[in-house]
Amino acid sequence: MKIQKLLFVTKFEELGFDAVRSLLSLTKADLNHVVFINVIERDRFAMSRVGYRKDEEIRLREAANIRFIDWSESLFEQGLEVGVYIVVGTLVSEVIKAAKKEETDLIVIGRSHKGVLEHLYSGSDVTELLRRAATPVLLYKHLSETAISIDKPFDRPLLAIDWSPASLRAVEYLKGLGDVVSEISLVHVASEKDLKGTSAMEIQKTRKETRQKLEEICTIFETEGIDARAHVYIGDPDDEIEKAARDCQATMIVLGSSAKSAWVEKWLGSTPQKYAEESIYPTLLIPPAKV
Amino acid sequence: MGKTVLVVDDDPDVRLFSVTVLEEHGYTPLEAANGEEGLKMIKENKPDLIILDVLMPRQSGIRLYRELKTDKSLKNIQVIILSGIAKKTFLRSQKALTEFGGKEIPEPKTYLEKPVEPEVLAAAIEKALS
Repeated sequence: MKIQKLLFVTKFEELGFDAVRSLLSLTKADLNHVVFINVIERDRFAMSRVGYRKDEEIRLREAANIRFIDWSESLFEQGLEVGVYIVVGTLVSEVIKAAKKEETDLIVIGRSHKGVLEHLYSGSDVTELLRRAATPVLLYKHLSETAISIDKPFDRPLLAIDWSPASLRAVEYLKGLGDVVSEISLVHVASEKDLKGTSAMEIQKTRKETRQKLEEICTIFETEGIDARAHVYIGDPDDEIEKAARDCQATMIVLGSSAKSAWVEKWLGSTPQKYAEESIYPTLLIPPAKV
Repeated sequence: MGKTVLVVDDDPDVRLFSVTVLEEHGYTPLEAANGEEGLKMIKENKPDLIILDVLMPRQSGIRLYRELKTDKSLKNIQVIILSGIAKKTFLRSQKALTEFGGKEIPEPKTYLEKPVEPEVLAAAIEKALS
């Protein structure tokens, strides 16, 4: 799995060219093609009383076009290939469509800015995208939303392993980034119920066994020339992964995304969804391989 | 039948504009919406001239131009670049690609920055095909 082509989704408000620049370290690995997409949602110009406002659509398209021309010039001059989509439609559908058409290896998107009620009833764009995308998705956090420096998000990723097929697929994804990643922290969060007993000996046994399994994955990374360290945390993954990211001075959290149904995600939530929506860290979600 | 001119541009309005100019001057227009589709049509139709945009989905005009100029059977097809991307950027990107191990390729003879007046485009087409 290589990241040769990325799809950068922007409404310009939440993600700017500074975010694109911070991802250019990926050119040291295999990145050679950036595709920009701006989706103009119909409610921006289709007013119920006035009808369809073609002039407004043209204005929005051209504003996006001018911005993309500027961004593209900078990337073209570095020898990168660049493509642009400015489309009218529904964000998630258009992003999925473009990702398929372009066969991208990564989708980069900002955090959803829907209101609380809208979010509750229709779910966020991000949750919907995670559910539908067959491609890894990087939830980028804007500089104003995070206290950490994210000049190089791929520099020190923290990979949260729960032994699911998706989290093991994340290992495959990251091991090709030897020229970009300086160190990977591998973290497994064992929940209280995973502990095999209540005695100190038994708890330590769980830690030891988990750590051994993590060390096997560390070896995979080290064979690829990437430093890797194993860490075991006990508690609720919804809290502990973020704590681990802080402890390890991580620049990104990487998780396998779950294959739960939309209904379950919406009402019960999931750890990947929570990190995508709430973490201060850029969050890379790797979907399970399609059968 | 007039000479064949392929317009490669993802913007349907620009394609319509160029096709109208071409038809008014007696040329036979063909259309493609991106570089990949453009290359396929070039190989199939061997047009006399290509009007090429730069910033497009699937494959940019920068890569398509490079493919044309490094292909023995296609390199002599005339190309007019018609783009919002500055000529300086086009040349710098070709230079960067050459430095990354690509072949050195000639500069495009005609580079028009969008938007362009119909008579300017018509004159450029006539000059390129003369």
